Amino acid sequence: MNPRKDLITIGALSDEDIRTILESTSAMKDIFTKSVKKVPALKGKSVLTLFYEPSTRTRSSFEVAAHRLSADVTTFTVSTSSVVKGESVHDTIDTLMSMKMDYIIVRHKNSGIPAVIARHCKAAVINAGDGSHAHPSQAFLDAFTIKEKYGEVAGKRVVIIGDILHSRVARSTSTILRRLGAEVAYMGPGPLVPPQQHTGIARFTNWDQIFEWKPDVIYLLRVQNERIDTPFFPAADYHQAFGVTEERLKRIDDLNMSIMHPGPVNRGVEICDAAMEYRNCLINNQVENGIAARMSILYHLTPQTQCHD
Amino acid sequence: MTNTYITNATWALTGEKIDLRMGHGDEPVSVFLNDIPLDGVNGVAPAGEMLIPEGARVIDADGKLVMPALFDLHTTINLEGHSKRESIYRAGQAANQGGVWGMLVMPSRGFIFDNAATLDSFDEAVSQRSFATMVPAGCISEGMAGEQQAPYNTLAARGVTILSDGGRMPTSLLMLHRAMKYAAAMDLTFAIRGDVPCLSEKTYMHPGTTSYNLGLHGTPACAEEIGIETLIRLAEDAGARLHIQTVSTAEGVNIIRRAKAKGMTSLTAEVALHHLLYTHENVGDYDTTFKTLPPLREQSDCEALLEGVKDGTIDCIVTDHTPCMPFAKKQDFVSAPQGMVALDTFLPAIYTHLILPGKLSWADVVRACSTAPAAIVNPYDQEEDVPVVAPLLLFDPAAEREVTPDSLYCGTLNSPLLGTVLRGSVTLPISR
Repeated sequence: MNPRKDLITIGALSDEDIRTILESTSAMKDIFTKSVKKVPALKGKSVLTLFYEPSTRTRSSFEVAAHRLSADVTTFTVSTSSVVKGESVHDTIDTLMSMKMDYIIVRHKNSGIPAVIARHCKAAVINAGDGSHAHPSQAFLDAFTIKEKYGEVAGKRVVIIGDILHSRVARSTSTILRRLGAEVAYMGPGPLVPPQQHTGIARFTNWDQIFEWKPDVIYLLRVQNERIDTPFFPAADYHQAFGVTEERLKRIDDLNMSIMHPGPVNRGVEICDAAMEYRNCLINNQVENGIAARMSILYHLTPQTQCHD
Repeated sequence: MTNTYITNATWALTGEKIDLRMGHGDEPVSVFLNDIPLDGVNGVAPAGEMLIPEGARVIDADGKLVMPALFDLHTTINLEGHSKRESIYRAGQAANQGGVWGMLVMPSRGFIFDNAATLDSFDEAVSQRSFATMVPAGCISEGMAGEQQAPYNTLAARGVTILSDGGRMPTSLLMLHRAMKYAAAMDLTFAIRGDVPCLSEKTYMHPGTTSYNLGLHGTPACAEEIGIETLIRLAEDAGARLHIQTVSTAEGVNIIRRAKAKGMTSLTAEVALHHLLYTHENVGDYDTTFKTLPPLREQSDCEALLEGVKDGTIDCIVTDHTPCMPFAKKQDFVSAPQGMVALDTFLPAIYTHLILPGKLSWADVVRACSTAPAAIVNPYDQEEDVPVVAPLLLFDPAAEREVTPDSLYCGTLNSPLLGTVLRGSVTLPISR
């Protein structure tokens, strides 16, 4: 297998890449139970986290993952105000190349930025979320969480509910799940779910259709107010129309479905309080698996920096 | 001074073989072929039948086509790091290579044609530096800000016949309506792209599978179509001439077809060549070369636009030539500017991708790229006090040329044809 330098989208990966990363995620997770939660796999390597968008969970998850592989981590905090107008991506890339980093983990509000960086950089570039495009590490942790829960992903049904239009999570997670043989459907407010002919994914408009379809996993997305200036739907409607209400939770429980969410959760909007304590709520598993999946991704990629130093 | 003779040329419109006698500069136009005035020609005869005096200069054009050179109704001269004069020079060189003798230059950041001084300095630079005729389009609003009307009377006195805010539809319909009513008395034409800005802001390409996969917001076709409908209604009410710029959707063509069928004679429309050749799928994996305004759309739109050109609903094919610095186009798709360069390759691209595959005839191309656009602009030589007509163009259909960075004179490289081979090459002008 050719060594892979970057992780930009799930679509760019081979089946073997996906299988290998998922398999080693399991091995990485075993490390967490040891008394020393650290292996020397990336000792001496430098990892840069470059987040142009605010993020707590993903960045700290990547940082913990890199630390557990013994890498040196540098955090490059970019205040959104100073960078967007001024420095072009190219100048940023030049700066990064001068720093001789081995791995660059990047998040940006514009779709396609990590790909631009990856093309011009010898470092391994990991897309930690770009605009509405892709969030491949989230896809791996989601697939791994489903695999861990059910033994395998193939044949499972997953409905992703919420703002599909703006969601990089929906795009990446649906792609990996379908590559692994799961069935995926989308549901959400009309203007936020692209038509099926664009996505190739079944489009539901209400919970009745979901309960009829009997998915194994209800995957909730956060309503992303920060990306929306003109409202796509009346906000007051959301919980009753699209959220997991206490009433719906009972049916979810009866049908033994799981609930997932990429976080952070808006309680009382997409999910009721009680659902957070639900026996099949996998949200905390996702967080734990996120570190293991990101360790596996870092381990799997091969920067082209060594031979040029 | 003896005449120059062109022998055995093929008249592109009919395929007839002809001989031409080229007149001296001070001889008036005397010959029309298919109702097209042939600038500088004072005699035409079937091939072999023209008497050629001994010692005359003869150009054997066997295997070559003659036709009127093209007029481009939509060129933007972005400065992109060059001086104004250098940019004008490069655009002129590019036009010559693409078979374009004259062009309507859109107002842009470097050339805000909303006052007499800017127009005068532009005209002076063009007369000193340009190989091609360049007619500036005056601004609709001061500074293209969309708020206050530019001084149309002043602009018209400097030869402006077309008004445009360069691809932007004014957000204030009230300002536009009043502008149209005012300018109608001066017989000025409003050249505007159909758009509803609030529907298309923060969108980057046509909505579809590609936009979904790339996570880019789609520009709904209805934004353009509602815009076109709105412009038509405003112009009708105001009694103004209207030219719809860069139509990109099938329904847009239908709206214009219906308006023309109703008898709206003061309405014309254009399509950019790239909207006939490419679709949103060409964006592929964020290829910023294919980021255009309006965006590239579906194959069915390309076909409807082509149909519109053939039946005359769409009067003109334009370059929508927009130089962008390589640096700017190397940015991510959201940040990169919209536009392609097309002047350098205009006629060879049309020949290779539309005429050779049988999608358009030479007659369609001469109408849509030469006679119709020139008639909309009516270029006029104010010093000589005569209308300016197209020079003859000699086109060698057998030539082949790869489009390389060195072969693009316009100064930037944002051409989708870079690296491809085009058939045909242009000799221009032959009558001047």
